[in-house]
Amino acid sequence: MKILSGFKMALYGLWSNRTRVFASMIGVIIGMFAVIVLSAIAIGVKDSLMKQMGNLGAEQILVMPGRALDTANGQKDLLSGLTSIPSTLTIEDAKAVEKVPNVNYVMPELETINWVQYEDKKVQSALIGTSHQYTRMQHSKLEEGRFFTEEEQDAKAKVIVLGNNIHNALLGKQDIPEETNNTDSADSQQSLWKKLLNLLTGDSVAAEEPSLVGKTITIQDTPYKVIGVLAPNAALGTSTDNNVMIPIETALETTSMKNLTKMTVEASSMDVVDEVDAAVFSAIKENHSEIDFSVVKQDQMLGALGKVTSILQLMLVGITVIALLISGTGIMNVMVMSVRERTREIGIRKALGATTFEIMIQFFFETLLLCFIGGVIGIGLGYAFIEVWNNNIELFALVLPVWAVKLALYTTLACGCLFGIYPALKAARMNPSKALRFE
Amino acid sequence: MIEFRNVKKHYRSGNLDVEILRGVNLHVKKGEYIAIMGKSGSGKSTILNLLGALDSFNTGEYILAGRSVHKMRANRRTALRNNEIGFVFQQFHLIPNLSVYQNVRLPLTYSRKRLGRKKARVHNLLDEVGLLHKKRAKPAQLSGGEKQRVAIARALVNEPSILLADEPTGSLDEATTQSILSLFDRLHESGVTIVMITHDIEVANRAERIVHLQNGVLL
Repeated sequence: MKILSGFKMALYGLWSNRTRVFASMIGVIIGMFAVIVLSAIAIGVKDSLMKQMGNLGAEQILVMPGRALDTANGQKDLLSGLTSIPSTLTIEDAKAVEKVPNVNYVMPELETINWVQYEDKKVQSALIGTSHQYTRMQHSKLEEGRFFTEEEQDAKAKVIVLGNNIHNALLGKQDIPEETNNTDSADSQQSLWKKLLNLLTGDSVAAEEPSLVGKTITIQDTPYKVIGVLAPNAALGTSTDNNVMIPIETALETTSMKNLTKMTVEASSMDVVDEVDAAVFSAIKENHSEIDFSVVKQDQMLGALGKVTSILQLMLVGITVIALLISGTGIMNVMVMSVRERTREIGIRKALGATTFEIMIQFFFETLLLCFIGGVIGIGLGYAFIEVWNNNIELFALVLPVWAVKLALYTTLACGCLFGIYPALKAARMNPSKALRFE
Repeated sequence: MIEFRNVKKHYRSGNLDVEILRGVNLHVKKGEYIAIMGKSGSGKSTILNLLGALDSFNTGEYILAGRSVHKMRANRRTALRNNEIGFVFQQFHLIPNLSVYQNVRLPLTYSRKRLGRKKARVHNLLDEVGLLHKKRAKPAQLSGGEKQRVAIARALVNEPSILLADEPTGSLDEATTQSILSLFDRLHESGVTIVMITHDIEVANRAERIVHLQNGVLL
């Protein structure tokens, strides 16, 4: 019998016991599904964060509260340095940085949580005080209206730009935390029915509802004129959809916030970034009695992120190994049981001329195929899950790299080889006359 | 054709050393049809297992067609079983999840012999035993007599020179027994050497020669 015949025998053996085979395959299917989905989540999160960090241009430098300690290799340890220290950065720091040579622009930001009200609708949002350069520096897009100008910023104008979710919520198009009573079932049901109807008719709610641009909303009893709405920006961690933006000067005057959440400094060119980085640090340090802030370049941010995702990937490898060990052990037990149940069959095959090698190869292929088919099903289900996720959930895209599929396939085959040896040897070593007498 | 010289076989059962064969001498000529008789537990099946190279003995010699079987390594013995010997068992020993056709074809899967068109060969044998119409049936769908006829077809598919039958009619009714024995007669006429184990004197009488196993020796 050739190896091909052994393969055919194994296929037939699996098909003949398909119910038991499928039951034993479930472990591998779940294991592989988990590996594929977790890989896709890890890579998706990494890509999403990297993309957002990449939005911070190579010529931009971030100044954040908290001290990032230097590691042994001279890099900033952003993972352990930036703790929840209250910010001591002020608008004066921003003004000092503006005077640093080769600084093109400084964009200060401060942030607080506030209730935003339009007529009887009241929703909670992140109130951001920032500069007129925000959309350029953050690559944000407007869905309608405009962003505030330098003149409005200097004049401390009461103008506001709404994040997409906040705009929709104030119009009653989207459910986010509200203070009013209309979270009642009747209203949310109406909203749900409206959504369903719109889906069926292809109409959009926006076509029926007026925009808030030009309307007045209030924050802590202060009226603000809505001048623009940001385009949807569903992203992991840094979405602007639930934010509202007012000029920084207005924020400093109308809110209790006096310290900056962060500031983004733009150097005049990439060639002077290192020089500007040091000069910005010195300029801020002059205003502070101690180093309670950090100046971080894009490459340092990406490095820190890389470290996080590396840990994530390492965890993934650990989960993969555990999942495969569990499913592999399960399959080995099933195969050992199968060998025992089929003792007489093995005896008959040996009596009819099957060699030790031929019996071994048949049972070895059975385990290998069992793992392989289970692995392929698990990968297929994982892929289907990723497709469904990517087509329906906008939070971040799951990314399935080819290497993850290869890794899953190779490991499932390795698992089959490893856990197939023992049952195969057990079957092959049977004495034919004893096997024929087995009850 | 077959020669056993002073073959002894014993095994350990707990602390006891049980002697099954105490020096068996047997000579079977080519094309001969013999029956081995003996009481239950006398070692008849052990002799058949040794003749079929399914088991090994402790001392003695086994010469088959001029070759020393007792000196052969496991894989040579396997090849010998596949090429030279056909088995028919009392419990039929068909593989339950294989069809009638697949059961009969099984020895060909392991065979190194060039036997021409294997499918046609299986079909011819199934036709000979009157079961071609049931080639797709599973063993569970067959009667005892049909199962035994499938087992005989399987035993013959590799054109063995020796047929070893262990109580081939032990589980069958009278009519089926006669049809199986007629099949054996035809095989004998075609030149196949047959060694049959039985405890039934009427069945044994169909053979050319009867030997009795008593106290671990053949008389």
